[in-house]
This record gives sequence, C-alpha cells and structure tokens, in this order.
Amino acid sequence: MLSKMLLGRYIPGSSIIHQLDPRAKILAVVMFMAIVFFANHWTGYGLLILFIITLTKMAGLSLRFLFNGLKLILILLLFTFFMHLFFTKGGTVLIDGGFFTIESEGVINGIYITIRLAMLVLITTIMTLTTSPLQLTDAIERICRPLKAIRVPVHEIALMMSISLRFIPTLMDETEKIIKAQSARGSTFMTGSLKSRLQALTPIFIPLFISSFKRAEELAIAMEVRGYQGEEGRTYYRVLNWQFRDTAALIMMIIFGIILWMIRQ
Amino acid sequence: MIEFDNLAYSYRSGEYKALDHISLTIRQGDWVSIIGHNGSGKSTLVKILMGILEDYEGTIRVGGEVLNDENRAELRKRFAIVFQNPDNQFVGATVEDDVAFGLENNGVPREEMVRRTEAALEAVNMLSYRNHEPSRLSGGQKQRVAIASALAMAPDVLILDEATSMIDPEGRREVLDILQKIHGEGRTTLIYITHDLSEIEQSDHAVVMREGRIISKGTVEEIYQDTDALIASRLVLPFHMKVSKRLLGGEYMSYDELVKRL
Repeated sequence: MLSKMLLGRYIPGSSIIHQLDPRAKILAVVMFMAIVFFANHWTGYGLLILFIITLTKMAGLSLRFLFNGLKLILILLLFTFFMHLFFTKGGTVLIDGGFFTIESEGVINGIYITIRLAMLVLITTIMTLTTSPLQLTDAIERICRPLKAIRVPVHEIALMMSISLRFIPTLMDETEKIIKAQSARGSTFMTGSLKSRLQALTPIFIPLFISSFKRAEELAIAMEVRGYQGEEGRTYYRVLNWQFRDTAALIMMIIFGIILWMIRQ
Repeated sequence: MIEFDNLAYSYRSGEYKALDHISLTIRQGDWVSIIGHNGSGKSTLVKILMGILEDYEGTIRVGGEVLNDENRAELRKRFAIVFQNPDNQFVGATVEDDVAFGLENNGVPREEMVRRTEAALEAVNMLSYRNHEPSRLSGGQKQRVAIASALAMAPDVLILDEATSMIDPEGRREVLDILQKIHGEGRTTLIYITHDLSEIEQSDHAVVMREGRIISKGTVEEIYQDTDALIASRLVLPFHMKVSKRLLGGEYMSYDELVKRL
C-alpha cells in the first residue's frame, strides 16, 4: 500500500524534465497553479489535460503508473465533485429528489473543479517524481534567499530540511529495530482496540525519542568539529545551473497561460 | 607535535577524575594508539583536544603553541576526527555532500572543493559511491566516508575515537588498511583510540590508560610484553597472546612467530 503511494517520491531518470533546473520546475508549478484558473470551458480544460499528458510523456512516466499512484486522493476528488454536484445551483434541474436537487450547472462545475484539482495534484506529483528531495531543498533555498532581508533564516531552514531528509531512513531503520525488540518481549501492536493500539506505541516512541536526542547531540558535535559556524563565510558544493532550456521551459509555460487566457469565454 | 602537560579534568566537580594529571607527547607523523577500558579517560582526552570540553587543568601545546580560547578555533582546523557511530556524524544527504561539508564550512572555493572531495574519496576507495545515500552503505563504508570527510580537510592530526567499535570485522579491516596507507604517506599524525588490543599492532606507539591515568606507554611490543598491566587494565588479550602466555611464558611474539614456535 505504502510503496504504491507516489506523493513525495522520487524516481531517478534522465528525461528532459528530470534534467530541468529544480528552480525552473518549482516556478513552473507555481505558474501552473494560476494558469489552471484561466480555463473556464471545455476547450480550456481539454488543453489542460492535454498539457499534463504531454508533460507526463516528456518525463518518461506512464499515465497508468501516475493514476495508480493517485488512487489515495481519489476520495478527495470525489468529495469535491459531490459537493459541487449538490450545492451549485443553476441551469436546468436534472433530478429533483425533494429535499435536494441536482442541476446542470452543478454537474458541469463539479467536473471542472475536479479536473482542476486533479491537474494540480498531477503536476506537483510530476515535479516530485522527477526531482530529488535534495534538489528541491536547494531550489527552495535559492528561491527564498531574498526573504533573508526580512530576517527569515533561509539557510538554517534549508539545512534543517536536508538533515531531516538524511535522517529519515536512519530513523525508519531504528523504529523497525525497536518494534522487533519490543515484539520479542511480547508487545503487540496490531491487535486490540484503537486505544490499546495507540497505547502500545508508547514503548516504541520513548526509546526512539531518547536515541534521537543522543543522535542530535553527536551530530551537533560532529558538525562543530568540522567547522560549522552558520552561513557566514560558507561556500557551496552543490550549484544549480540555470540553462537555456530552463528559460525556454518557463517561456513555454507563459505562452500556454496566454493561450488559455485568450480562449476563455 | 602535541604535548599534554599535567592535564586533569572532572565531569562533575569533586571526587572522581576523568583525567588525572596526564602528561604525554605525540610526535608529528606518528601513529599513536590510546587503549583503555570504558571510563579510562581516553575519549575525554580527545574531547579536550578538540575543544568540546573546556575548563580543564594543565596545558596543551600544539606545535609549540599553547591551546587557549583565542586560538582554539584556528588550531581545531589542524585536527579532524572520526567518531564511533557512523550514522551520527553523517551530515550530507549523499556521500560527496558529506565530504564537502567541512570544506563548505571553511569557505573553500568550489573548484578546489570538488578536487579535494574527489581526492579524499579516492583515497578511501569510495569514489564510485559518491552519489549514494548514507543509509545504503555498510558500516565499514560509512566509516571510510567519515575518514574521507576528515582527510578532505587536510588535517595534521587525524583522530579516530573508537571508530571501528560499531562495525563488522571486515569493515574494521578496511578501515585499518586505509589508516596504514595514510600512515605510510607520513604527513598525518594518527591518534587511534580503542579498547581492542588486537587493533594496535600497526601503530608506532601505544598508551594504556586506566581510571584517568597513563598505566604504560611505549612501542607496541613493549606494551604487549607487559601482559599483567594489560589484564589489570581490564583489557582483553588477543587470542594468540593468550596462547603464548599460557604455553610459552610471558614473552610477547607476533601471531606468525607463535605459529612458527609451535
């Protein structure tokens, strides 16, 4: 179940989308979030769907793979659809169930909004599938750098993010070890009422917290002896290389936005 | 050269001394092992040297310069350290990021940084793993990366604080082989802290510590001769030493010699 989930996962590859600068991808996604709202009739939504399909192909991902991964948010999409179906009024009455009515505007609006939401989720999924978390962190740090002027600790936040990413697998291993150790001592985690299952988690979390604090302390010492003194006087090993294709990608996104704007009614 | 002169330290004010007036000189380019059981003060010694612990008595001289608050940060750049737990000293999300971390902190220009990172990874045979995440490496590989991270800083002194105690025997051999190579180049002083007597064979000198004091120091052979002092320090003799002690009396001989004699 968990392995099928695509949200936040990264699949290494060498497609043109993979090779784009992560900053370009983030900016393009932000633009797309606005562009999605330009569409207001069938042609517009058709173009949006076509655009996402093209993008998926360019990223070397299969559509079926992408949709399979999205099953988890299906509930959210259906919920949106039914909300509009029942509560948007206008047009001809299709079904009159007495205390509720379904009207044509509701159906059309429901479909539109659901497509919008699905497209937004798909484009962010394409971004995270083609960009390593580390690259994303770097890109966020660079894009947010101007925020330092208003005293946002951009470098520190980025370092925190990258250390967290680095420690996720380590802590997963540790959790697994603790679960095994506690199971060997007779703890059960998978049976009983919800309350007793939650209570059973205590003997997992307490050792995990204790060891995390110890790790944090050792890591802090290791960082200090390696000369970490914050951002000042620091150089960067990883550099992001903005290339022509990144500019081209953004221009294409703008052109796509203009087209959608022009065909709106 | 590092000189410890009458160094003393207690973790809590009062009775028990983690270090009890220690004097020791370590020559540049030497490989010195510090051996001791848990709580013998060996790690405390290193923590003081690295400036992690302060408020000690006595003096430390590094290259003739007395270590103090003003020059601590500057002198620290001459040292690099590899700690016990390979997971808790990995800062970078990938192997090469981790090696570059110390260089980034010191503001090394990027081109030089790339060159030094590659050279350091090459020295520990880990260059082909440069894009790997630490969680996908074995214990020995992680410690080799930690050594590369230390070497990239071009330290005068490389300290290994029980660096092999959490990894498997094979990883341990890999680490010791790399240290042998570094030692062969003759530039870097190695301070090797361990509680395992079988790991000190390759070092030039060894120091045995117990309860914050130096029990004996000398060449590895001299240390090995005095088995009683080693046992009194609650250290476990390597198997071949136990055999030779029981069968042939106290005289120390290497594994090969013993095989020949028997």
